[in-house]
Amino acid sequence: MLGSPSLRLVGKRLLMAVPIVLGVSILTFWVLNLIPGNAAQQLLGPEASPDQIQQLEEEMGLNRPQVVRYLDWLGGAVHGDLGTSLVSRQPVTDELGPRLAVSGEVVGLAFLISLGLAIPVSLLAARWPNRMLDRISMVVSTTGLSVANYVFALLLVLLFAVQLAWFPAIGYTPLSESVTGNLRSLALPAIAIAFPLFCFYTRFLRSDLVDQMQGEDYIMTARAKGIGPWQVLLRHAFRNSAFGLITIVGLNLSTLIGATVIIEQIFALPGIGQMLLQAINTRDFIVVQACVIVFAIITVLANLLADLLYAVLDPRIRYGSN
Amino acid sequence: MSDTLLQVEDLRVRFDQRGRRVYAVNGLSYRLRAGQMLAIVGESGSGKTVSSRALMGLLPPSATVTGSARIDGVELVGMPEPEMRRHRGADIAMIFQDPTRSLNPTMRIGAQITEAIRAHARVEKDAARARAMELLSLVRISDPQRRFYEYPHQLSGGMRQRVMIAIALASDPKLLIADEATTALDVTTQAQIMDLLGELRSRLGTAIILISHDLGLAASYADDVIVMYAGRAVEYAPTRTLFAKMRMPYTRALLDAIPRLERQSHARLPITPGQPPDLTALPPGCAFEPRCARATPQCRTSRPPFAQHEVGHWWACWNPCKDGEPV
Repeated sequence: MLGSPSLRLVGKRLLMAVPIVLGVSILTFWVLNLIPGNAAQQLLGPEASPDQIQQLEEEMGLNRPQVVRYLDWLGGAVHGDLGTSLVSRQPVTDELGPRLAVSGEVVGLAFLISLGLAIPVSLLAARWPNRMLDRISMVVSTTGLSVANYVFALLLVLLFAVQLAWFPAIGYTPLSESVTGNLRSLALPAIAIAFPLFCFYTRFLRSDLVDQMQGEDYIMTARAKGIGPWQVLLRHAFRNSAFGLITIVGLNLSTLIGATVIIEQIFALPGIGQMLLQAINTRDFIVVQACVIVFAIITVLANLLADLLYAVLDPRIRYGSN
Repeated sequence: MSDTLLQVEDLRVRFDQRGRRVYAVNGLSYRLRAGQMLAIVGESGSGKTVSSRALMGLLPPSATVTGSARIDGVELVGMPEPEMRRHRGADIAMIFQDPTRSLNPTMRIGAQITEAIRAHARVEKDAARARAMELLSLVRISDPQRRFYEYPHQLSGGMRQRVMIAIALASDPKLLIADEATTALDVTTQAQIMDLLGELRSRLGTAIILISHDLGLAASYADDVIVMYAGRAVEYAPTRTLFAKMRMPYTRALLDAIPRLERQSHARLPITPGQPPDLTALPPGCAFEPRCARATPQCRTSRPPFAQHEVGHWWACWNPCKDGEPV
């Protein structure tokens, strides 16, 4: 289905990702150096004498000029070695894997929940616009969009963890330990991330579907054929709305990464967001760099994926054919 | 008449939108024989499109339809939606103005045709595909094997309209409504599509309602012409009669607005002054009176009845044009 122009697009976009990721790493490095204090000071605490700090700084190589340190880090990074944590003295890549898995699971669940609910709700709402279900969905999604996800997360904890005790309030059970335990530990964080997304998707999808049903000529053609209302909605309207939805989902992914940083903190999940926050507190610039680079790569890949999906689904778009 | 296919009587459509009441069709009556081509002509807002969509139950929920429209004796007005759906496409089909927008851009041509075939008959996929190829050949699309798997954007405007016709013919309808079906096409393609419609009519016996603002198009192809103004029929006659003895000043105005080769070049086209009437508040008299050169005080106060004044020739005017007399 894709052919060579699409492959060329992938190549081009992946090449474009290089300067983006490089730029992000430089910016992160520079900003980290603007924050007062460094890893040596943080490790030794406020009681440490200047001599002790200086000694540790030399051990860590923090006394070298910024540019030298950056190039040193970059030299390793291009070979796949993201360095050794200044604090734990462990290779960063070893820690990234399991943390990414946790964050990935939360985000994946959130996507499943939000899309799994938004699509049927929007279809039902668009099938009978301005009726009961449509109005309820509009009120809920408007409300949901105006509540920050961390506020919503705390409300979830209060209700489902503290009052009802259905789910644990904090902590993480690995999948290898217990599947149900794992899902239970991720339920609240996933819902906390999923709910605003659900509201967003529902609003978009519902209004896009209704606009099409009322305004598009091909909907009129479909209806004139004498096919049923659900078939018109699903085969004709939803198919076209799916493109917009894919773009939005793709763009959302970067926002989602931001959300995991906060949500993982609230629910004490050992994900990459938590890793980043801890590293910033200890000024462990090696770890911060690694996390930010991972975020940047994921964002670039997600956008690329959305574009490719678009091309697969929409026959009018065949990249590179001009 | 025994061969009456469609009988429309006192058809009325009004829209209720946020407290505003728009009277779009105000008592339209006509009769269509099987295999006949009838042109409904009028400017935008004259009710020609609304009245034909009312026949198919394709109006938005804000519309209220009253009166009667019977196809083969079956009353369409007030028919519940599930039942209406069985007639839609099967008995009455429709093609629209803009073939670029009327086809789903994301579906292959073949799928859009087979969908119409399978809407009214239990047909296996293979049989539906074969029938779709047949329909594509019928509407003179070359290489149907290839076109079947193409998307609308890969086709020209004329070919898209042919595909629309193929879709409309999928279930062998008795009546095909062509709603400004050639307006968005260039003149050459327009003639090709009209010729195709004429050919299909004589081959398949499909009656056609040709909705157009173009009186010239109606003159070339239709058996009968209805001229509509402000939701009412104002003149109705066999095409030949109408053009030989035009009675309504409005019909004359429409005809005079058509550019002609024999006219002096760069001469201004005659323009009918004024605006089409406000459909929320129609005057008690003739709706065309404010724009009419022949209007008298009587026209303002009482509406001329739409009646058969000569054999087969109906009009609604107090001061009709005489034979050959200019407006």
